[in-house]
Amino acid sequence: MATFIERPRNSCALGGALTTLNALQGVIPIIHASNGCGGNICGTIMAGSGYQGGGYIGALSVPSSNVSEKEILFGGEERLEEQVAATLELVDGQVYVIVTGCMTEIIGDDAKAVARRFQQQGKPVFAAETAGFKGNAYHGYDLLLEALIREGVVGPKGVEKEPHQVNLWGIVPGHDPFWRGDLLEIKRLLGLLGLQVSTFIAPDETADNLRQASKAAGNIIVSQSYGVAAAKVFEEEYGTPFLAVDLPVGPTATADFLRQVGRFLGLETTKVEEVIRREDGQYYWFIERLADFYTDLDMQHYAVVVSNANYSAPIARFLADDLGWLPEVVVVTEPLAEEQKAHIQEALAGLAELKDGQVPKVLFETDPYEIHNAVVAHWPKNNGEKYAHKLSPAFVIGSSFEKDLAAAIGARHLTVSFPILDRVLLDRGYSGYNGALHLVEDLLAVVVGGR
Amino acid sequence: MAFVEYVNEKANPRRDDRLRTCHAYGGTACGLVKDSQGGCLVNKDRSFSQTFGCQMSLSMFMLQTIPDTVSILHGPVGCGGASPGRDYRVREGNRARGLKEQRVIWYNTNLNESDVINGGEDSLEKTILAIEERHHPKAIFIVSTCVPGIIGDDVDALAAQLQERVKAKLIPLHCEGFKTKIVATAYDAVYHGIARHLIDDQEDAPAEAAGAAQGQADGLIPVNVFNFSSMGRIDEVELARLLKGIGLEANFFPNYVHPDAFNHLKKAALNISVCATHDDYFLEYLKEKFGTPYLIGTMPIGSRNTSEWLLAIAGKLGKEEVAQQFITAETKELEAALAPYQERFQGKRVYISGGEIRVPATGMLMQELGFKVIGLRAHHYDEFGDDLYLKVAENDPDMEVNVATTQPFELVNLLNRAKPDLYIGHAGSNVYAAKLGIPGFPLFNTPKSYYGYRGAYEVALQVDRLLRNQAYQRKLKEHTRNPYHESWYQQDPYHYITG
Repeated sequence: MATFIERPRNSCALGGALTTLNALQGVIPIIHASNGCGGNICGTIMAGSGYQGGGYIGALSVPSSNVSEKEILFGGEERLEEQVAATLELVDGQVYVIVTGCMTEIIGDDAKAVARRFQQQGKPVFAAETAGFKGNAYHGYDLLLEALIREGVVGPKGVEKEPHQVNLWGIVPGHDPFWRGDLLEIKRLLGLLGLQVSTFIAPDETADNLRQASKAAGNIIVSQSYGVAAAKVFEEEYGTPFLAVDLPVGPTATADFLRQVGRFLGLETTKVEEVIRREDGQYYWFIERLADFYTDLDMQHYAVVVSNANYSAPIARFLADDLGWLPEVVVVTEPLAEEQKAHIQEALAGLAELKDGQVPKVLFETDPYEIHNAVVAHWPKNNGEKYAHKLSPAFVIGSSFEKDLAAAIGARHLTVSFPILDRVLLDRGYSGYNGALHLVEDLLAVVVGGR
Repeated sequence: MAFVEYVNEKANPRRDDRLRTCHAYGGTACGLVKDSQGGCLVNKDRSFSQTFGCQMSLSMFMLQTIPDTVSILHGPVGCGGASPGRDYRVREGNRARGLKEQRVIWYNTNLNESDVINGGEDSLEKTILAIEERHHPKAIFIVSTCVPGIIGDDVDALAAQLQERVKAKLIPLHCEGFKTKIVATAYDAVYHGIARHLIDDQEDAPAEAAGAAQGQADGLIPVNVFNFSSMGRIDEVELARLLKGIGLEANFFPNYVHPDAFNHLKKAALNISVCATHDDYFLEYLKEKFGTPYLIGTMPIGSRNTSEWLLAIAGKLGKEEVAQQFITAETKELEAALAPYQERFQGKRVYISGGEIRVPATGMLMQELGFKVIGLRAHHYDEFGDDLYLKVAENDPDMEVNVATTQPFELVNLLNRAKPDLYIGHAGSNVYAAKLGIPGFPLFNTPKSYYGYRGAYEVALQVDRLLRNQAYQRKLKEHTRNPYHESWYQQDPYHYITG
């Protein structure tokens, strides 16, 4: 039996699959579900991810079979076939991917069989089974990628690997609100190492990047949780090795990341070190001019980080190991396998700069009610005593749900995770070197914002 | 079937089974009314369609405004995911009404694969008990979605059984998305739950209530006005001002009304709907059950419709004379204020798309402002549209009408042909006009004003501003595109309508 969730922080499997398809260049999603599924998911992302709209073919323009009682009773494959044929006629794309919802899977429609009938006519139509009840949006990301790999969107078979070509995965569009900024920054950095990088979402890429993805020498997954299952399928199908690492945030983690990539692909160490030296130099060129203000006004804070499996530990690590803050509690907000939890615990136990060796308290909890209570219980209360221990100044770095939590412990608040309602997001991202500069800017903007 | 009998059932009927609904049509205003009256439109559908909303998603817009309640989305984890976006709106609504600011709290039962096989009732029971313990709400709305509808969860039986153990009133609502493409059925589902659980049977005769009120010092007669989420507090204030002007005191239901206060509904002399798409089910029920007369014709948008609305209300309560004087004074003032804008708007062409009733009402407002209305699009159509569609097209019987729940592909085909100066669109559709370089004015944009005489002036002001610089839309057109093949724009816009 499932456990209820107060105010879920992401969508269903169909939601993750759909926001991912919506991000992939040249790929047209076709929903095989009731009329409300796509609209509800577009509302979810609009409301939760810094007001992101549909782009080329998202939001309310996504083709959808809109099955109703008739199809529930008699089966929906015929309707799906009609919808796909019309979509091919009407919508300009390179690859068309059917994603299924709860209703059509419960009644047993075979979307893959429908897709195959179109393939036999030479049409690039594929299908993924992504019913909402199969899991959350992050799981939907993996379900979709696995289908893209197994069903032959990713290809081709039997080609030589290009030693300098890599694919970048692990960030779930829409549900990771900073997906664009983060993927582009990592792509930029890997480009500096001389690599050709496919993110599949960048404006200068097309569906050909997917079609040629098997040529890559390796898959780089900037997540220990998401995209890993798909990378394993990729390895099975194409023998492509993968590297799954934390999303790098800040100069320390990014330098580690670049060195790991270098070792993974056998790149020249001097080249990697040269890139790190230049990027570090630029990062500190900016940070140097912050130092006057930062030190005169003592900007060090205690921190609570509430975010998804991809962001929580990396943000805490940047705060501790680069910015010199004190992460007190780190909350990871999705249900994870034990192995994934262990990765996060390990990362947080290894924070290098905390002098007293005191590691942050780690909580795996999705429910805002429980998160609120746990952090408030952890935080020392000031009952007006003359000499009371306190954790101040403090910052809660989480979602819009944590606004009340921040107020309850007298902390400042910055939104970095879904849902984000108080900012409009465009190219913002917090990973790499440039992302970390943005994070410092955004944190300190909260401090001076009332002036 | 009588409405009191509907309400005796666990679930409300679909609008498809109750009204002559239609969600796919292309033609003219007069053709639409004629074909609808002839029953020719009920089976129309599309061989290509795009996603929209459902009963579940729309019901949340009402439910989440009701203070001291928690909603449960009984379904897989994605259902109800758009709720975060309503939190600030609801708090804004609380503030505007002097209510305590409350966060929107909802739960999802998170049904998974094993629940699909074994049933979701256990999960729902746990959720209800946890909410009772954590939040002690006055009521819990249990919004049943597609999956429990298909796997056969007996939500009503579970709620009845648990009711003995929890203080919160448990209100099951049947909002399975797949059941209807007429999304507005959601309003019936919510009203159905309110009627069954928040209004007791005690009679409170409206005539007496009116009499009692007339004995009050201010002599105002109490009437109910039914609000909705696309209407801000500022619009309620305007409607209350107008009604006060003819001797009535407006009380607003159901949004932002405490669960304990729904019984006060019975005290009114008249129930007034400002949107038939929203209220017909409930007002019929209240009339049958408590004998309260109602008015459901016009939407008070624009000068003419506002005046006609006031006169119709006055007619029901014997206030014609005072209403006529009030209207004369108000419209004279408004006309003078609008004159400079009318001059600037003269001959400009507008296309309008959104809710069945709001679209033609807005069309008439735009005609008053000097615009030529070249096309209308309605999310759905039924008998409540007949009068307004004939009125907006009275000087132009061939006015283009498309019935479509958004369906951006039809929208862009029509706009590309019509090339209007302005597009007025429901949320979720303005972007597609913008990509064609057409400036868009939101069909609703709370908390900005839109209703009544003051709303008419505000709309003129905002539209005038929008037309002064169209660089955003023009540049967007130059650098982006809608996702259809060029051949689509040469094709009949209604090519994919079937039946």
